[in-house]
Amino acid sequence: MLAYIGRRISIALLILFGSTYLTYNLAAYSGDPLAGIRESTDPKKEAIMAELSRFYQLDVPPPARYFLWIQKIFGIGTGQIDFGLTAKRLSVLDEISAAIPTTLRLVTVATFLAIILGITFGVLSAIRQYSRLDYTLTFLSFFLFSLPIFWVAVMLKEYLVIQFNTFLEDPTINIVSNLLISAVLAVVITGFVSGTRKRVLITWGATFAILMVVLQIASLISWFRQPSLGIFGVAILGISTSVGLTHVFAGLGNKKALYAGLAATGVGVAFYYPFGQIMNASGNYALFGGLALLMLSMSYFIGYFFTKIDKGPVIRSAMLSAFFVSFFVVVDKFMQAWAPYYTLTDGKPMQTDGAYNLTLETNDFWVLNLDLITHLALPTLALTLISFAGYLRYSRASLLEVLNMDYVRTARAKGMPEREVILRHAFRNSMLPLTTLVAFDIAGIVGGAIITERVFSWRGMGSLANEAIVNQDLNLLMATFAITAFLAVMATLVADLLYSVLDPRIRIRK
Amino acid sequence: MKKTMIKGFALVAASVLGVTGLSLAPANASAANKTMVVQESNALSGLNTAVNGFNLLTNSDVLGPTGAGFTYYNNKAQLVRNTAFGTFKITKNDCGSTPSFGCFKVTYTVKKGLKYSDGTLITAQDLLLSHAISSSDYSIKAGLGDPSEGTAKFDSAGYGGAYDDHTRAESFDLSDDNFSVTVSYDAFQPDWQVFGPGPGAVHAMVGIAKGKKTFQTARTNATYKSLFEEAYYGSIATLPSQSDPDYEDELGARDDARALMKKIAAKWSTVWNITTVNSSTNPLLLISNGTFRLESCTSTGCTLVKNPNGNIGGAPKQTGNLEKMIFKFTAGTLDDTAVGQAIAAGTVDIYSGAATSSFWSVVNNASGVTAFKGNVLTYEHLDLRTGNSIFPMAPDNIKTIEGSTVNCDADYNGPFAGNSQQAKDLRKAFMLIVPRQTIANNYIGKVFDPAFSGNSPVLNSLFSLTTEGDYAKVTAGSSAYLTDLNKDQTTRVALALALVKKYYPSAAAGSDSFTVKLLTSSRPSRVANAGLMTTEAAKAGIKVEHYIRSTWSSELDCNFFDAAEFAWVKTGLSQTGTNPQYESDGGNNSAGWNDSTLDTLLGEFEKLQTATSLITTKINAEKRLWSNYYSLPMYQWPGASAWNSDLKNILPSPLAPNVTWNYWQIGY
Repeated sequence: MLAYIGRRISIALLILFGSTYLTYNLAAYSGDPLAGIRESTDPKKEAIMAELSRFYQLDVPPPARYFLWIQKIFGIGTGQIDFGLTAKRLSVLDEISAAIPTTLRLVTVATFLAIILGITFGVLSAIRQYSRLDYTLTFLSFFLFSLPIFWVAVMLKEYLVIQFNTFLEDPTINIVSNLLISAVLAVVITGFVSGTRKRVLITWGATFAILMVVLQIASLISWFRQPSLGIFGVAILGISTSVGLTHVFAGLGNKKALYAGLAATGVGVAFYYPFGQIMNASGNYALFGGLALLMLSMSYFIGYFFTKIDKGPVIRSAMLSAFFVSFFVVVDKFMQAWAPYYTLTDGKPMQTDGAYNLTLETNDFWVLNLDLITHLALPTLALTLISFAGYLRYSRASLLEVLNMDYVRTARAKGMPEREVILRHAFRNSMLPLTTLVAFDIAGIVGGAIITERVFSWRGMGSLANEAIVNQDLNLLMATFAITAFLAVMATLVADLLYSVLDPRIRIRK
Repeated sequence: MKKTMIKGFALVAASVLGVTGLSLAPANASAANKTMVVQESNALSGLNTAVNGFNLLTNSDVLGPTGAGFTYYNNKAQLVRNTAFGTFKITKNDCGSTPSFGCFKVTYTVKKGLKYSDGTLITAQDLLLSHAISSSDYSIKAGLGDPSEGTAKFDSAGYGGAYDDHTRAESFDLSDDNFSVTVSYDAFQPDWQVFGPGPGAVHAMVGIAKGKKTFQTARTNATYKSLFEEAYYGSIATLPSQSDPDYEDELGARDDARALMKKIAAKWSTVWNITTVNSSTNPLLLISNGTFRLESCTSTGCTLVKNPNGNIGGAPKQTGNLEKMIFKFTAGTLDDTAVGQAIAAGTVDIYSGAATSSFWSVVNNASGVTAFKGNVLTYEHLDLRTGNSIFPMAPDNIKTIEGSTVNCDADYNGPFAGNSQQAKDLRKAFMLIVPRQTIANNYIGKVFDPAFSGNSPVLNSLFSLTTEGDYAKVTAGSSAYLTDLNKDQTTRVALALALVKKYYPSAAAGSDSFTVKLLTSSRPSRVANAGLMTTEAAKAGIKVEHYIRSTWSSELDCNFFDAAEFAWVKTGLSQTGTNPQYESDGGNNSAGWNDSTLDTLLGEFEKLQTATSLITTKINAEKRLWSNYYSLPMYQWPGASAWNSDLKNILPSPLAPNVTWNYWQIGY
């Protein structure tokens, strides 16, 4: 095993050397770092060009200059690891260490959402193959997959920010708009329903009517300006989610699981007011994390003590319920922060660009985090919409393949409940091929999203790479490239190792 | 399923109903807005606007409102004197035919009583630093290294150019009251007004060199000022001969002075190169004399707030009610649609940059947004080679162009070589075929409106841009020389063909009588222009070979090419600024123009001019350029700005800082 890893790492180093050497030379030969100044009529042009030539070491040809770069990177001769300076004479290391957290914030949420949503809907799609749901999801995923991100971003900004902010000035929905919105939303929701035409029509009608009423009420009470769930809202949402989750993961027949879930939900609702008191405006992340941990561990023990046999599903049900009820409590807190946030942003709560609001003057924990969320919402939505299609199709195809296997037929034949067949036998095995995909995408997170970061003005790794390419900034470009390449090479190694862990048929041999 | 769904929606509906009991008080209207968010097209690279580096424009934009000096440029690109800070005038102008050091002097006087944000008095001692960072002679004589070898201790972008060439280490004379400084030159300086020194808080500089991290007392600051003055002059002191009894003492004093200057230089070159400013930043770094002061900076933006002490540093009196300015930086490269939408969404108040249709289409119809068509100081033009470039970029200029090996230094003997009548006629013929009007329409009119059908302004001068005040007068003066070039396309092509026929009697449309090797970058507009030129030239019997080169800018000096289309980017306006392009030995003359008559005419720019005489000088030089058909101006690049319509007194300027130059007038 160790010998295998050692061999793989040495090959990886060779690959890294080759790819960085190639990139360095391609980038160096692709343009002229002095091009900008050559076009200038600056009277000090010659002095500036001489200074820049010295700075970029242009007297050394790129194939040799690469070794000067690598020498500095490994600190050969100086003992000091040095990534050099950017074209703006800032430390490359500082720039990158500032960019990585930004990129992680932006891309991690989107990637994990895409993975979770993609796999969930992929599984649903596979279970209900050739149903209305399957067609709806297939259509949606291909439709979203084919949209270019820069266009999606522009549309989202126009309708979810500019128009939405205008709407918030007078948050009332007139009856015609309401009819239209409800009708369209009802069509989308009905797409998930299968069955006879009559059933579908009834579902559409009911959904339409409920949406109409809900939107009308929301409009009447200016809910969009002063949103809130209230303790009743949290309780109702929590209970319905708990029941739903128990239905999926344990079955409503498992009364213990159901009661454990409901009990956990009850604890969450009971915590509604105390939580608001403890996590007030001066709250912090440590306290927040502590409370979340407390809630989850409590729910674990609720599940643990509810039954003596087959604890697994009961604990899962309790913990999931606790997670969601806590989530609703937190959502409610953010909703309550919306009104002050609206005032602080001068009536423009939704933002088109940047990672946070530069003009915000507050120390309120909830408002500050709401600000992060309003900035994160659009790029995350855009990235998720576009990338979840891939996971959806992969997981659907993979699960379908597994469902046709003999052992699944055997499982069904021995009378195993369908839930068990899918969750325990088919789903786990169907996830194997996705390991490679997920490993690569997670490694790719650090590489950033050039277009998304640019369109939304996030200063992450993608922006840095873009800037480096445009400015012929070799030190910066090579640093971003080397990090991304290193992670990509490592991801293949990790994926291969994971395979051997996940699939007993695969063994790593020397 | 149906039942479950309905149940589900009922739950959602009920939960919404559950909140009806909550308070419904409307959100408060916010306090009157006095903050302006400015979008920059780049990011800050540090708080020093003169250190060697890549992008100092953003630094200057951000720090502009935090400082004030003797002059500023207005939106008509005119240099305006800021009398709130001080005055300056020529005190000696006696260079005659044999100029000597000190024959031309300018005296700068700082207004008495002005103070920095820390309360320290501004004096002429604060002007000394600007010479130390701009004079190579000072740097060498003070033992601070030779800037031309890259060893200068002040890592300054200020060295080089006419100021550096014509001043000496000893150029700065401080008056006895410490409020005036007289700058001596060794020749008359036509751009003397632009060369003015600016204030640099030298007491802070000394404090930082001494490792201080807090504001010092008034007494200490006064001592620091004197220390700086002593070090500044002490470093360049002439020593007596070694046999002199004072030699050792004076050497020691000079060494001490140099040691302090070196420390200051090292700090000057590094400590301001920060992009993060917060409450833990050394306050000495942030001492300024503008209306605003820098409060904080992060990688995404900088916040400037009004100086609590008021306007005490010599900035023009504030008439607008702005209290805070936030400069927002671009991550990576600017996405103009994103900026347009940010303005429409109200998260950015103002942006100014090059015009693009994507930006314009977003801001032009956005409600509450004022969109403005302007210009940037960049102009597109076509240069025709007449001889060998005198500044080959590399010793052996061997290049591979379109697969064949080319010696760029080989003598130029193409169709345009020399100043014979034939060469001039062929150059004129080639200029005539260029569809300037179509090109201008494509890159000005159609940028703002794809359906544009009028005529956009063609640039008719090489010395004045359309945004300069004297453009109309200059072009009127030389218009007789442009008659043929401004005729309609068909007539011009016919004229061109007639000229080609003089030397190639069989010339006709498509005859390829002679070939013009045209160099351009891969910029789409230039590729398209070259296409238009190829088509039009063919009608006059001229064959165009178009070379699209990514390394074009370093090949402008390659004698292989007959013509090149590119843009000159003006970084400032000065009387002599265009000379390097057209003088026979000019640093930007890559087309081998060698014309002693033109050199004499250009020499006039080196003399003292009034606004009126400058126009005449420009017209005379222009006439010579036109009659020899060296360079054809095409169009000035359009700019676009957009801002929150609630902002008052926004006057976009083609010069940086484009929209904040008059920060003291801006308000809501």
